[in-house]
Amino acid sequence: MEAMQITPVSSDYVELRFGPRWTYISCVRKFVASFFMIGLADKERAEQISMAASELLENAVKYASDEESYLKISIAKQSSVVDVCVKNRAEPHHINTLRRELALIQAGNPESVYLKKMESAAMTEGQSRLGLIRILYEANAKLRLDVHDNEVAIHALFPLEGA
Amino acid sequence: MSDHAFTPLSADGLSITPQTSGDVLRVKMTGAVEMRDPGELLNPYWTALDDATRAKNVKRVEVDLRDVTFMNSSGLLTLVRWITKAKAHAPDQAYKLVLQYDRNVTWQRTSIPTLAKLAPLIVVPSEVNG
Repeated sequence: MEAMQITPVSSDYVELRFGPRWTYISCVRKFVASFFMIGLADKERAEQISMAASELLENAVKYASDEESYLKISIAKQSSVVDVCVKNRAEPHHINTLRRELALIQAGNPESVYLKKMESAAMTEGQSRLGLIRILYEANAKLRLDVHDNEVAIHALFPLEGA
Repeated sequence: MSDHAFTPLSADGLSITPQTSGDVLRVKMTGAVEMRDPGELLNPYWTALDDATRAKNVKRVEVDLRDVTFMNSSGLLTLVRWITKAKAHAPDQAYKLVLQYDRNVTWQRTSIPTLAKLAPLIVVPSEVNG
């Protein structure tokens, strides 16, 4: 019998993989908040991380390529940063929209961009598209996009104070 | 005093209870706004509230968000739409929109003052303890 390979992980690491169902998001958000409340002993940072996790998962569910695909969220506390990463498969046109969106929100002053996006979203029907700029501005996180074939990994990176 | 023009709402883990007192409308929200499309529920509700507020000549609307544990960005957009509408009213139809929040709830402390920046002349963020 082959021995099971166990990859060592830090104590402040959590990874979940599940089907793209909306109803799971709230449950993951609450779990992430509780987990990092303990791991970071910082309620505000834990709530910001869980908000980011929730917004990224909402986007992933909305734009996942099909019902049979999956979402993977991993959150790792490294020496100076917490990395919230959500992975899913997406259609090329959604990936291109995401690239444009990220370029737009990272180009300007976050508060001005946020307010402008709110104003323009209010004048149009459909999705809010406020999730990423909310993470950037309200949670003071950095965003990074990695794409391999049709798999999208979006990272929200939270610098840790005093690290 | 309850008023039939201001009807309560309860759905999807969220409840909203409006109550008038003189020329003030108090709107208490409880629960979480994290449904997939909160606009389906809330956009028509806020529009009806806005219409009734003006019809009844209410000059101050206080929305108590302190017991809202979380609001997703689509939920925030419903408030943005309400603010955008309220900002466009003629002076005789205008009212103050006071958004009451608890600074110990992170989403409230970051989102509510930002919403108020959309219309600083009519939207007042109000930190309320307890």
